[in-house]
Amino acid sequence: MSAVGLIARDEIRLMTRNRVAIIAFVLVVLLTLVAVASSWAHQREIAELRARQAEAAETAFKAQPDRHPHRVVHYGTFIFRPLGPLAAFDPGVDAFTGNSMFLEGHRQNSANFGDVRQSSLLVRFGQLTPAFVLQVVAPLLLIFLGYGALARETERGTVRVLMLQGAGRGQIVRGKLLALGAAALLAGLPAMIGLAAISGQPGALAWPMLAIALGYAGYLALWTVLILLVSASVRRSRDALLALVAVWAVAVVLLPRVAPDLASAAVPLTNRLQTEVAVARDLRTMGDSHNPDDPHFAQFKRALLARYGVAKVEDLPINYKGAVGIEGERLTSAVYGRYATANHVAQARQNALVDAMGLLSPTIALRSLSMAAAGTDLAGHQRFLEQAEAYRYALVQRLNRMQMEDVSYADDGATDAGADRRKRVSARKWQAMPDFRFIAPDGRTLAAAALPGLAIVFAWLAGALILLMVASRRLGAR
Amino acid sequence: MFIAEDLTGPMTEPILIDDLTFAYDTHDVLNGLSLRVPAGSITALLGGNGAGKSTTLSTLLGFTRARSGRVEVCGMDPATDPDAVRRRIAYLPENVALYEHLTAVENADYLLALSGERQGHDAITAALAAAGLQDQAWHQRLGGFSKGMRQKVAIAVALLRRVPVLLLDEPTSGLDPRATADFSQLLLQVRERGTAILMVTHDLLSAADIADRIAFLEAGRVAHEVRADGPERFDVRALHARFQLGGDRLAA
Repeated sequence: MSAVGLIARDEIRLMTRNRVAIIAFVLVVLLTLVAVASSWAHQREIAELRARQAEAAETAFKAQPDRHPHRVVHYGTFIFRPLGPLAAFDPGVDAFTGNSMFLEGHRQNSANFGDVRQSSLLVRFGQLTPAFVLQVVAPLLLIFLGYGALARETERGTVRVLMLQGAGRGQIVRGKLLALGAAALLAGLPAMIGLAAISGQPGALAWPMLAIALGYAGYLALWTVLILLVSASVRRSRDALLALVAVWAVAVVLLPRVAPDLASAAVPLTNRLQTEVAVARDLRTMGDSHNPDDPHFAQFKRALLARYGVAKVEDLPINYKGAVGIEGERLTSAVYGRYATANHVAQARQNALVDAMGLLSPTIALRSLSMAAAGTDLAGHQRFLEQAEAYRYALVQRLNRMQMEDVSYADDGATDAGADRRKRVSARKWQAMPDFRFIAPDGRTLAAAALPGLAIVFAWLAGALILLMVASRRLGAR
Repeated sequence: MFIAEDLTGPMTEPILIDDLTFAYDTHDVLNGLSLRVPAGSITALLGGNGAGKSTTLSTLLGFTRARSGRVEVCGMDPATDPDAVRRRIAYLPENVALYEHLTAVENADYLLALSGERQGHDAITAALAAAGLQDQAWHQRLGGFSKGMRQKVAIAVALLRRVPVLLLDEPTSGLDPRATADFSQLLLQVRERGTAILMVTHDLLSAADIADRIAFLEAGRVAHEVRADGPERFDVRALHARFQLGGDRLAA
């Protein structure tokens, strides 16, 4: 066996003879297994629940009787964001962004304006997921296993004993890296097996899984190197432990908690109430289709009459009320869309700030890449919102068009005994309407979204390796 | 026999130090030190505190780089190729550092394997026995060992190494008189196999017992060097009177 292998074997022998280390290791492995099992079961439960609810909402929508299309517009429907299988590994922001939406005419509802990014890691402390165990708990385990790897040898003088047997500084460091790396691999293995098990599910994607596996492998490798770097840089193992716990507390707990707050302070988001008030104010100034003196709708009416070459709305070949509904929906959607876009831009700026802080904490970079690859980051939520709004707009305008084309203007305003029946449109019309189907991005898109975070994690790893090489030159010199 | 027979190369003077100087900042520690230790001989280096004994060993081991002068171990410069030099040296420090999570046998096995000189269990236990470690301690972890017991483990490891150079730093400081006498006999066996042995010590009596030469270090250089003279070897009382050194045991 080579010197590196011998040193690694001895370090592992030391770990296995340390009862506390063994107990801690077993606990972390058990924690990961529980996290994998519970997270997977939870994800499947949520997925089934949402599928059931979506089906129920679709059934209820299609079960509407023959009725006036505008009543269908206000009847509305619920849609649900389906969970991808990788959400079992990292549920990301799903738990606090909302995942259902009520679609109706004249307004965009629900999570569009939720303060999604203001929630932070503390929220996730309540969730036991494989991602959480690997991001937060595994580094702590590695610290307790490896803080003394080099500092202990320096402190007790055995580093010189190793060197006197002909082992070079590089061999000593590589041996310790190998031992702690093996421990990291074992600690991460249950979660990776869970990830592989998820791959058996339909919908799981190879590229994002590869990005996740690479990201976490790089992250644990980084901690392995960081631990040895600190252990090589101090003279006493107690100092190494204190320094490493401090680094863990700042990089893993503090910065990921503070980063969203800093981003919120730098780019404030309007809260839901403020947005509602502002939208209502804009809608009031936009125009009133029921007011004959409203300049916008007066102009709209003139243009419509001119286009059809008639003098009054009763002579139009279409139902004027339906046409007004279409125009009104276009205007209100534009107002909501404007606020939604502003909100999304602000959130994207917050995200960019948080991601930039990944340069200070690799945990932030890892969280970003993990959520991005799992499709559970804010971009995934944004994707859902955009598709939901596109579906809502198309649905409402389709109903408005039905009113315009299938219900006559005269009947629409009539109040005689048979008028109500004449205003109705056949239920077959909404039964034939397409259902909402969330189109998930393909694997390459998800993996590409994880690349910036991946690059930061590996840049950290490269930097730490260089520093370790420098620090190891002083091994045995004191 | 637990001591390896083969030594690398027909080196006549495996340890060669010539006009060596070294200083910590402005404090001169070695000041023109010259010393040669032929193969198959024991040289004792005596001197008071701060005379430069440990610095000399550290320089030979490649941990300290001399300011000027020439140092060679088996023809190699420890400053430029410390790993290669260390593979040719067995070193027994005054304060033995070994692994407490390992047993005596495991310590020896690990360190010998690292040096590329792995030996069987029987050879290791024979060396431990020869170093004076009781057999019930062979398979105990070093956590509960006394300084003397650790010293014996380190002695066993040093003697099992197949190397041409043995450096000893106060090797008997943790040993009782019986163990000290046994250790002296072991050293003589090692010398017979052609090993160049350099022993740093305060103890003139033990040096006089086994050394072929005694070098007296003063102010960073060898002030006097005396050789064993006939079967009577050294006249310890005369040496003590002449150099006023190593008086602990003598005075007692």
